[in-house]
Amino acid sequence: MGIRFWERKVKAVNEDLEGCSKKRRRQRPHVLTDAYILSPSTFTMDWQGQKVAEQLMQIMLVVFAIAAFITGYILGSFELMIYVYAGGVVLTILTTIPNWPFFNRHPLKWLDPSEAEKHPKPQVTSSVSKKKTPKK
Amino acid sequence: MHSFGYRANALLTFSLTILALICAMASLSDNLNSPSPTATVQILNVNRFQKKSSGDDEVGLTLDISADLQSLFTWNTKQVFVFLAAEYSTPRNSLNQVSLWDGIIPLKEDAKFSTKTKNKYRFIDQGSNLRGRDFNMTLHWHVMPKTGKMFADKLVLPGFRLPESYR
Repeated sequence: MGIRFWERKVKAVNEDLEGCSKKRRRQRPHVLTDAYILSPSTFTMDWQGQKVAEQLMQIMLVVFAIAAFITGYILGSFELMIYVYAGGVVLTILTTIPNWPFFNRHPLKWLDPSEAEKHPKPQVTSSVSKKKTPKK
Repeated sequence: MHSFGYRANALLTFSLTILALICAMASLSDNLNSPSPTATVQILNVNRFQKKSSGDDEVGLTLDISADLQSLFTWNTKQVFVFLAAEYSTPRNSLNQVSLWDGIIPLKEDAKFSTKTKNKYRFIDQGSNLRGRDFNMTLHWHVMPKTGKMFADKLVLPGFRLPESYR
């Protein structure tokens, strides 16, 4: 499930919201919270968390592989090596694949909408007329 | 690494690569083993020694095979396949190898054995060259691993001779 899935979900909820009259919108505050919950930022990791997740996965797998080989070799059992390694893989899956909260400790700070209004985008028409004069 | 599928794929491929590496290391560790097997073979009786209607000689033997192959087993051994072959040379073929008996040993405890048996497979020559023939009994073994390289070796036991005339 990538970004596209969540974008469609948010769009669907917002369209549903637009169909309601103002009175009904006030009566349905949970729809706004649905849109918030469905937005991507609450279900994925931040950049720092992704880096930590990848490093954690690689380190855990290598450590479990070394531990599995040593125990298997010393105790003389190939099956034991495979079981220890499989247990390590399952533990790594549980630790790094789900979006645990400790992967989201450095969330991105988006610009506040009121702040964005104070800095409007520059107009396009004035720059086009300026470009025409040097060509002459 | 920003979605479940991406992380799951990365983890799966990395874990399988590491699994291949530890299996390769397990196979390489077999080279550290220096085996010292022993074996003896005796022919208890020559039951049958005839020339068949096709013109080939056939021998029926009762053998006493005893061997200690326990040192061949490592932690990475699945089973040992062992077979006994009669080896001799004739004017027609410079080397003849005829398999007389074989067995599969899955456990280290069963690798020290002693059996008295008739030859499991027929000892038939290509031609009629076996009367008074000197031959070696060679015990071959294949150490089959759980992962990796298979080792094969043999032990030559010389000094056997077939009777001078048919029985």
